Amino acid sequence: MIARVVAGLVVVSVAGATAGPSHLPPPAGTISGKVTYTGTPPKMRPIDMAKEPACVTDHPTPVMTQDVVTGSANSVRYVVVYISGGDQGAPAATDTVRYDQKGCLYIPHVAVMQVHQPLEIFNDDPHSHNIHPLARVNPEWNKSQPKGAPPIRTAWDQPEFIPVKCNVHPWMHGYFAVLATSHFSMTDSTGEFSITGLPPGTYTVTAWHERFGTKSQEVTVAGSETKTANFVLTARPY
Amino acid sequence: MVKRFLKAAAPLATLVCAAMTPDRGSMPAKSYTAAYAALTSRIPAFARKYGLRCSACHTAWPELSAFGQRFKDNGYQLGNDRDSPIWQNNAYWPIAMRTTPQYRVENTTNQVTVASPGGKTITQAGFDLSGVDFLLLGTLYKDITFGLVPTLDADGTTGLEAAFVRFDNLGNSPWANLKVGKFELDNLLSEKRFTWLSSNGGFLYAYHYLPVGSANNFGFGDNQIGAEFSGHSINSYTRYSVALLTGDDGEPGLPGGKSVDAMFTASRAFAIGSGLGPQRVGVFGYLGHRPTVFDSSGGAPIPGTGSANKSFVRFGATAQLWVGNLEIIPLVSHASDDAALGPGADKPAWNTALLEAHYVATPRLLVQGRYEVMRMSKQGDPAIPSTQGNADAFALGVRAYPFMFSRDGMALHAEFAMTKTIGTAPLSGDGSGVDPATPTTVVWSRSLLLAFDFAF
Amino acid sequence: MRPQTRWLTLSACGAVLLCGGAVRVVAQEAHVDRLTGRAAAGKPLYTRYCAGCHGDEGDSRGENTQWIDPKPRDFTLATFKCRSTPSGTLPTDQDLYNSVTRGFVTTNMPPWVALTPHNRIDLVAYIKTFSARWSTAKPGTPIAIPPEPAPTVQGILHGRELFQRLECWKCHGAAGHGDGPSAKTLTDNKDDPIRPYDFQTGTRFMCGTTNQDLYRIFMTGLDGSPMPSFADQLQPAQAWDLVHFLRTLQPLKTPEATIWRAWFTTHGRELKPIGQEGGGQ
Repeated sequence: MIARVVAGLVVVSVAGATAGPSHLPPPAGTISGKVTYTGTPPKMRPIDMAKEPACVTDHPTPVMTQDVVTGSANSVRYVVVYISGGDQGAPAATDTVRYDQKGCLYIPHVAVMQVHQPLEIFNDDPHSHNIHPLARVNPEWNKSQPKGAPPIRTAWDQPEFIPVKCNVHPWMHGYFAVLATSHFSMTDSTGEFSITGLPPGTYTVTAWHERFGTKSQEVTVAGSETKTANFVLTARPY
Repeated sequence: MVKRFLKAAAPLATLVCAAMTPDRGSMPAKSYTAAYAALTSRIPAFARKYGLRCSACHTAWPELSAFGQRFKDNGYQLGNDRDSPIWQNNAYWPIAMRTTPQYRVENTTNQVTVASPGGKTITQAGFDLSGVDFLLLGTLYKDITFGLVPTLDADGTTGLEAAFVRFDNLGNSPWANLKVGKFELDNLLSEKRFTWLSSNGGFLYAYHYLPVGSANNFGFGDNQIGAEFSGHSINSYTRYSVALLTGDDGEPGLPGGKSVDAMFTASRAFAIGSGLGPQRVGVFGYLGHRPTVFDSSGGAPIPGTGSANKSFVRFGATAQLWVGNLEIIPLVSHASDDAALGPGADKPAWNTALLEAHYVATPRLLVQGRYEVMRMSKQGDPAIPSTQGNADAFALGVRAYPFMFSRDGMALHAEFAMTKTIGTAPLSGDGSGVDPATPTTVVWSRSLLLAFDFAF
Repeated sequence: MRPQTRWLTLSACGAVLLCGGAVRVVAQEAHVDRLTGRAAAGKPLYTRYCAGCHGDEGDSRGENTQWIDPKPRDFTLATFKCRSTPSGTLPTDQDLYNSVTRGFVTTNMPPWVALTPHNRIDLVAYIKTFSARWSTAKPGTPIAIPPEPAPTVQGILHGRELFQRLECWKCHGAAGHGDGPSAKTLTDNKDDPIRPYDFQTGTRFMCGTTNQDLYRIFMTGLDGSPMPSFADQLQPAQAWDLVHFLRTLQPLKTPEATIWRAWFTTHGRELKPIGQEGGGQ
């Protein structure tokens, strides 16, 4: 529990692997692996930002949609892998998760956090956004954040995968993955993840992707070993 | 349906109603039959237009709820700036139909026939049909309302029960609305949105009774032709209307001449208690005239030449009271006619009182009862026995709605109604339809009705 | 020491992540003025008046829903447009009562003003049984609305500046016609298309008719719709300026419009247009 207070560490989740917080005391096992897909995934498409000239300027080459981001060897990015059964680790981290609106994109596309963990939403653009988390279990809200407005500080009380959108810029679309566990990771551009700091025990590991759904498997970790758990998600076209 | 059945007694009814219809001779009328009691407005077309269930506007269709009353008062508009037809899907067509296939038994005592001049009991039974009402009502534009109700009787006769245009919310005020055409009087207890269908239960003596031998033809329950100015508060809890009407009980073609009748109603509802509706009390009054002399040509009175107008008055009070799901509707009224309207040298006068109760168990089940008494307070001729014309009417019914949604409606209807009249044929027209052998003879008339009442 | 059981419980919650909590609290009450509404009394009224659109289960799956646009409110989400409370909080009983009474302009939701107050508050109590949030969370605290200052040209000009800077025009359009660049792509929280308010129709607002109602609309946001809350962005004085400016967009004889039109005839040319290239003033 004390271990949680790895004080002041701001997890700036720049697009890519998000390291799960870890327990200090050994033994600490690791579950790592790779997430791939079978089937035909929908193609990423260039985003037309013509409605917001500033954002067109920000991206000399058009940005691609991010809801399905695949890599070589069928790897899938932005898959949240977490412990859904077994030791749930520490309660809410106090370090702040940062979520940026920049160039009319959400960065990172998926922000992973624990329940009650502080979340700060920034508008780095020279124009307005409205941030509209379409929560179902948690309260849904919708706030305007004009240019230069201070960050919105908030947190979520219930585990939920919350779609986030900006109504002004309909292409802006992201997720808050709010988890009960502190044991989680998110796949990087190679589809790889790693959940560290696991006490010995049997775990249900779940991989969630916003379009390909969830898959789970049981993994037993004994001592400070690294177990491999690969996931194959079924790609669903649009 | 009452109307339809009355057509069966048509030769007689024609005769008895003839006084004010110059081309039919000048024989004085006696009991004016309750012709236009039954069918009209429960309007699935509105449910389809607005996506509301029947039960939103009707406590038990066709009776209006407070919400339905406001909708009607507002010119069939909900008030969301989507009432005008330009907002409707092109496929929307403001038409609804209603009819009632049925099995019924009518039993009437002391009926004078050729074979039994002293009177006998006649029992009539069988499957039957009501006519069809076509209900075309809606808005032509925001705050311009129209209504058109052609009818097709089961015997093929057609009619035009209502036809009007209404200008709503004049000067953006709900207190000013103008309706012109043929329409139902603003009766708080509406016979057109009645939950009664049988020949003895489907009308009120209060709305149709006329003394034996009267030449008058007025009935509150009949749609009239004229202009009505009305208004209401935002929630329609306070309502009033005044109307000027051509004096011939809704008959088209100006047969009544230039005489004009006047009608006034006012009511106020109070949000007291937790019942299904507010507590409403209201008053109504009618001042009418009927010509007693017509110029004639070739022996037939010429329409429009009536003169020597003689007046008659009707006034009363009514209420709609709610205790939980129980609705209680009392009504008292007084009526008197000028002596010149018959039958004798005195002014006849009479009073009615009724109590109707509806138990709306659920939006899909209604149990109802009614008791009405009508008493002559003064006969038009001292020679007439004081009790002749007195009536007692009792009705009991159940309506069950097997489904309730916003596309159409059906009701399984069971009703028993019974009237006792003295020295006169029952207003239902059942039996032989003629008056009993003596002015003191008591006639019992009973109706049993099992019907499928549906509207699409 | 390890709070394992607690976490297991939470993880069970996680397993039903997207289930809205099907617990029905039929003992729910609602209070307005001196009236107490009871869910048990509201249930038959709901069946009678509401279920055709909002569905027997409050999930907006009534038999009419498929024909209705915009779609009826899904009570299982406990997300409501017209509130006096901040975005993301539950509305007060009075808010729901007012919505039932008022209805929603340009939708299929009629004003239920003809129902007795008692019927309406019973309905509110019953509506609160469709989401477990009503038993786990309290309604938000209504936002404070300070007294309205008299409208001035300076205030209206300032409001116009805010209309530009807060980018209200992106949806509502430069002239308030509901035709901004983002208007066509707006969707609500169920991904159904939705239109922004068109000030030029002059109809009443979604949540009322008064200046206070207008103040409340943009300060609390219309939850579930694209209309966000501006409470964090506006001081009360600014909010009133914006209210006064918005009134000038309506073709109504309001005091604001009178002041504005008088000024505009002589100074109209000094104004920069609102919109992408505009500077507000």
